[in-house]
Amino acid sequence: MKIESLSLKSSTIAIFIMIGIAATILSLFAGAYFKQAALEAQMKSLSRVIEVASQELLKEIGVHTSDLGMKLTHSSELISAINHSRKTGNTDQLVELLDDPFINGFAGFSDVNLKKIRVYNLELELIGKSKAGLDGLGDKLDDHIAMILSQRKGVERLKVIDAIWMSPEGPLFSTLVPLGGLHAIGYLELIVNPVFNLPDIEHITNTPVRVYSMSGVQISKGGQDIPEGLLPVELILHSSNGTPAFRIVGYENIEEMNQEMGRTQIVTTGSFLLLELLILLFALWLFNKFLFLPVSRMLHDMSLLSHGQLDLTVNAKGLREFHIFANAFNAMTDQIRMRTNDLTRLLNLDDSALMCFDHDNDAVYFNKAATSLFGYTNDEIIDLDIADLFSDDIASLKTDPDKKSGSHEGNPRTLLNCKHKDGHQFQRNAIINTIRVRGQTGLGVALNTTSEGKDTSTLQNHQRLEAVEQTLSNLLAFARDNPDILPGVEAPQPTDTSSTGASHQKSVLREHVVRVMNLALTCWEYDLGKTKIDLAEESRIWPVYIDKSTPTTRTLDKYLNIDNCPKNPRSQRVIDTAEFVLRETKTKKSVKRGELREATDHFRRLLSGINSHNK
Amino acid sequence: MKILSRPFAFNFRSAMVICISALIPLTLSAEQKPFAPESIQGVTIVTAEQVIDMILANPDLIIIDSRKKTEYQKGHIEGAINILNTRLEQEDLEQIAPEKSTEMLFYCNGIRCIRSSDSIHKVQDWGYTNLIWFRGGWKEWMEKRFPIVTN
Repeated sequence: MKIESLSLKSSTIAIFIMIGIAATILSLFAGAYFKQAALEAQMKSLSRVIEVASQELLKEIGVHTSDLGMKLTHSSELISAINHSRKTGNTDQLVELLDDPFINGFAGFSDVNLKKIRVYNLELELIGKSKAGLDGLGDKLDDHIAMILSQRKGVERLKVIDAIWMSPEGPLFSTLVPLGGLHAIGYLELIVNPVFNLPDIEHITNTPVRVYSMSGVQISKGGQDIPEGLLPVELILHSSNGTPAFRIVGYENIEEMNQEMGRTQIVTTGSFLLLELLILLFALWLFNKFLFLPVSRMLHDMSLLSHGQLDLTVNAKGLREFHIFANAFNAMTDQIRMRTNDLTRLLNLDDSALMCFDHDNDAVYFNKAATSLFGYTNDEIIDLDIADLFSDDIASLKTDPDKKSGSHEGNPRTLLNCKHKDGHQFQRNAIINTIRVRGQTGLGVALNTTSEGKDTSTLQNHQRLEAVEQTLSNLLAFARDNPDILPGVEAPQPTDTSSTGASHQKSVLREHVVRVMNLALTCWEYDLGKTKIDLAEESRIWPVYIDKSTPTTRTLDKYLNIDNCPKNPRSQRVIDTAEFVLRETKTKKSVKRGELREATDHFRRLLSGINSHNK
Repeated sequence: MKILSRPFAFNFRSAMVICISALIPLTLSAEQKPFAPESIQGVTIVTAEQVIDMILANPDLIIIDSRKKTEYQKGHIEGAINILNTRLEQEDLEQIAPEKSTEMLFYCNGIRCIRSSDSIHKVQDWGYTNLIWFRGGWKEWMEKRFPIVTN
């Protein structure tokens, strides 16, 4: 596809469509991205919720254990048993007291899973431990808890410590309470299994939860069943020293979120696309108002100007660049108008009769002196042939203008027999030049308007004629590109003589011209009983000449015979004639009239086909 | 239909106005719940750690818990005596601390509680001079997880 074939409008719309498609794709992509981001945010959120819930549970465990611890540490029996064991080394009484919560229970017994109670002195050496509960925990306080305690100074050491620690039996939760209240004589450690409480996370988060050991073994079964299609969200619960202790997995129902996201995506994407469409339409409207329409008007005006309406000015209302462009074009048109007027005036000022004939010997230009010499009006000139004006065969004098030497010696100078419009003949000195007309060889004829028949100043006349010839050439060159500016000059025909298609079209056209004209004349004569002269006079389409006091229709006659028909017939004139006859005979319903209508329509179609082909 | 709709609209509007009117004082009361004063002239304010230090340094320190009895029973600082501010009488206090220069520590639930400050004002009026105020009170004590005594 050539860039010239693309209009500003179509390319702009194409760009807008591309932008629209890109925006649509991007919006869909962004929708999917946001959905993924929302899912990740949801997972992070649930993970955080599980973490908070687990911390809350551990805190609750700590409350229960510290309550139990506070009660035990203020027990005078326990204090005396500790003192006794310190003195005697007998821990039976101490162990019995420490086993009591396992046997008789305590407040909050059902809320925690108590595994062991151990008693340490201030140096964290074991004094005694319960017999009940887990075995195999050893006698040593967890290193991390011991480290926390050792880092505390003064009254800080009286603060209760809660911690998850890794025992040989798995992760356990301990609460360390100062023994003896503010006057601490040691520490009491209460050890519970947090797995007992962790499943309660699902009551807080309202989602099914499973607790796994770090080796992947499920160590608690939640109360809620896990339906299919739930999204697992994992949280690693660490011990106090940072070691991973439990893997807590919550199962999030994302179906609702997916539905909500789907709805949101449809609404947002739809809104975005609608907005985008509105913006594009608005942009198109703006473009149309401020670009396409002004440019279209400008092109239309330019087209009219280029077809000869030099009195027009291009509409310069539009965007800045187009405004400048239109103004420049208007300025250029002014220049052309001015120069054309100058040229026409210059040619009309010359005393010599200047004429120009194309390669078909049809007259294309007469200056003022020529029209007055021959007695024709400007309108009649276009119907004239070289044979209508001269008795001599001057067409044979045509040579190739490109091979001219440029010397005035090469210009045929002769005395020509001329025919006036009224039929009388006269002689004039002439200089005949072969010139380039519409890309083909034509003739430029300059006649001396005086009848002395002798050159008063041959050289001066020759120079004038050369100047006129040059002017004519320029004017014709301009007229070739602007066929409607000068009267009688039509659009240039294809110059490629080898084009058999073009010559075939011409011959078909001429045949149709002759047929339509003959039918029009027959219809005119048959239906109305009038003559050919009547047709020319009443229609005012064809000139009527007076040859030796006899009216003739020389031009019309040419269109009635294929041999005499001009090679470039005036098609519009033929159609106008046919239309005129059809109008005049509209009350008649003759066969001839029907044939004429049919032939005219066919001729029109032929013409439009040729025109579109030429474009 | 129109006849019915007007009284209904009136009743509904009236109910809304009443509800909102009732809610406004509640909201204000929540926002305007009094804070204990920042300080009381002639009274030393201490933290939980300083309380422990003082208890350890002076075993005879009189600690007055100005909270309700139920709160006291759930847990209190070791050695504290429960006397609600409204029930604090000069005669009772003089039995506990006959000397006006006796060191006495007061606490209640925390900075949103005015019972201990109220008790201190009373005691100051009775001529006691060596007063200590644990302004953070029970809330601070529990947050720091110091040992408590439960009944």
